[in-house]
Amino acid sequence: MRPEFFAQLRSPVPWIVLAVAAVMPFVLPNYYLHIFTITLVYAALASAWNIVGGIAGQISLAHSLFVGCGAMLSSALLVRYGLNMWLGVIVSAAAAAAIGAMISFIDFRFRLGHLSFALITMAFAEMAEIYVTGTEFFGGASGLFLPKDTGDFFAFQFGGGRGAFWAMLAMTALCLLANLAILNSPLGYYLRSIRDNENAAQAIGVGLLRNKTLAMTISAVLTAIVGAIYARYLAFVDPYLLVSPTLTVEIILFATVGGLGSVIGPALGAFLLAPLGEILRGHFGGSLPGLHYFIYGAIVVAVILVSPAGVWPAIVSRLAKRGRQKA
Amino acid sequence: MITRRTFALGASTAAALAAPAVRRARADNAPIRIGVINSMSGGYAAYAQEGHPAFKYIIDKINAEGGVKSMGGAKIELVLADDTSQGARCATEARRLLTEEKVDLLTGTMLSPQMLAVSPVLDELQAPCLSVWAGGSRSPWLYSLGYDYDRGYAKTMADFAIWLRDKKGFALKTWMPCYSNYEAGQQVNTHLLKRMGDAGFQPVGEAALDTKAQDQTAAMIRIRAAKPDIALGLVTPRDGLLLHQARYNLNYHGSIFAGGTGGYSDLSLWRDLSPDIAKAVLTRNLFAMTGFSPAANVPSMQKIIAEFRDVAKLKLIGQSAMQSAQAARVIQRALEIAGTRDKKAVKEAFAKVEIKFGDADLYVAKPTGIKFADDRLLTDGSAFFVQWMEDKSQQVLYPEQFANAQPRPRSS
Repeated sequence: MRPEFFAQLRSPVPWIVLAVAAVMPFVLPNYYLHIFTITLVYAALASAWNIVGGIAGQISLAHSLFVGCGAMLSSALLVRYGLNMWLGVIVSAAAAAAIGAMISFIDFRFRLGHLSFALITMAFAEMAEIYVTGTEFFGGASGLFLPKDTGDFFAFQFGGGRGAFWAMLAMTALCLLANLAILNSPLGYYLRSIRDNENAAQAIGVGLLRNKTLAMTISAVLTAIVGAIYARYLAFVDPYLLVSPTLTVEIILFATVGGLGSVIGPALGAFLLAPLGEILRGHFGGSLPGLHYFIYGAIVVAVILVSPAGVWPAIVSRLAKRGRQKA
Repeated sequence: MITRRTFALGASTAAALAAPAVRRARADNAPIRIGVINSMSGGYAAYAQEGHPAFKYIIDKINAEGGVKSMGGAKIELVLADDTSQGARCATEARRLLTEEKVDLLTGTMLSPQMLAVSPVLDELQAPCLSVWAGGSRSPWLYSLGYDYDRGYAKTMADFAIWLRDKKGFALKTWMPCYSNYEAGQQVNTHLLKRMGDAGFQPVGEAALDTKAQDQTAAMIRIRAAKPDIALGLVTPRDGLLLHQARYNLNYHGSIFAGGTGGYSDLSLWRDLSPDIAKAVLTRNLFAMTGFSPAANVPSMQKIIAEFRDVAKLKLIGQSAMQSAQAARVIQRALEIAGTRDKKAVKEAFAKVEIKFGDADLYVAKPTGIKFADDRLLTDGSAFFVQWMEDKSQQVLYPEQFANAQPRPRSS
């Protein structure tokens, strides 16, 4: 691990941000706490996807499959067999890892290009949605209802809004930490070399299968755990939300707007766009239906035009420029 | 002798004593805020686009007639929200309306997926809600005017098939489930399988319509191969459109198609299919289930149709309009019974609402009127079966008490 990793961990900034975020449940009203929690879900998902899509440059459209794996499988095991949801989360994370590894193997075995990889992963996501909505074990198209959250931590219950917020905050921090660790480790270098030129990376001895599989597995496991916490928070596991390829598109949008390949970028994208979408809909959805889509789309287009590489790289570049001018 | 000082003292004491009563009176008169979560955009937008103008018209009428009388004539104020046809967003909007907008109760199109998603929020925030369309209720705080999957949809469809066979002499032995493969379609089909089996119909395969498909030719080929006497199930307007197109393209008339609701009974089918195709498939071997028909022999329904058409000048008067208008009247009755905006009292008042057959406020065709059962859905889940005429009008066939025609014989 590079010393930068420990240097960034020693910096007081992330700890202050974390501490401020942690007291939000005592400050924010119910609705805004909910919006913050949803934003954390998207921030965690975008960060987890960034490992594969941003750092390794593999545009995976299969991440709704991993979210669904964590949400639907752990919930179904609880509802159908009474399996403790912590165990269910371990099982579903393992299943997500196995599926991720399988996708990586297919990618390696058939030497898929970026477009083919994206299409194959989209096909997996579509198949997953059709399978889940047609399978009684997962509740079919009706989804599943989870037992009431009584706050029993040992049963994977967090005690309602505040507890779910803290659980998601911890999970988001873990996803960011995973990104930071990967970027400052040999794996991060291998993945970036694969992203920039796969053939050249292989020629200098970077193992494509091993590194891609590792990235996909880590990403899938983190995504599945986020999915399980999200399902527990919602209490109703909706296959059309949690296994829908549309979810992956949202994750990729947030990561792209925030800045692919960086630690902060994908989460920042989620923090900018997720609350914006919710608040715009809340203000305009009832009186002027459809207007919120238009405003949201216009803002996304404007942000991409102003900073094509993403918001975070633009901020970093501006700060660096100002630093140079001062020096 | 009353000095200025004693007068001032007495007046301020009286004012202080009277203040709570004045505040209460003002609170009683303050508008009753109703959060309306509609699917104004997305896949289910058609329900709200037709239903909301009718709902608003009835609410305006209630306000113009003096508001909620048991609450000192309090007016009803609507706070609108769009769930974009997504369950999770319906839950978010419910949370916003209840905690930020401080609404007293919720209503809205809320189909079954929204009902499922909003239920945990209602339980958490303990707020009453009336869904216009949900086919079930998963929260003790949620009532619905929608058709129950079993005693609403499945029973009506199965009873109609039995009626055709036993009373009208149609040769029906085999059947095939033909339904939109989504939450409600699957649920109705589960109950339909049992009811049709009990009635002695023999199943021959299944045609589950992929709700994302751009074409239903494959499903129609499956039906043509099995050639059931009747294909039955819950079909959405979009799937119905594609199914009828495929039937026209394959020129298949070997089975009777029956079911609903929107996929068979929606007036938009004539526009979307084009009149020639619609005439060829909708008026031949097809019977449509619907909660409303302009041809139905129900005086209170006919009266409100005329009012919507002539006074409110509504452009769309279909079953969504009628169902939404009915929701407004049910809410009015519940508030009158409750006499307070206390959420628990309003919830309990819904259970006591009763609009009998023959009442001017009964807009939907329920032979036993409107009353909620223990599962918080209507005790009377019945609906009509109609057949289309070439001039786009409908004839009511079933139940016989509302009928104005006989079913057209099967043609091949």
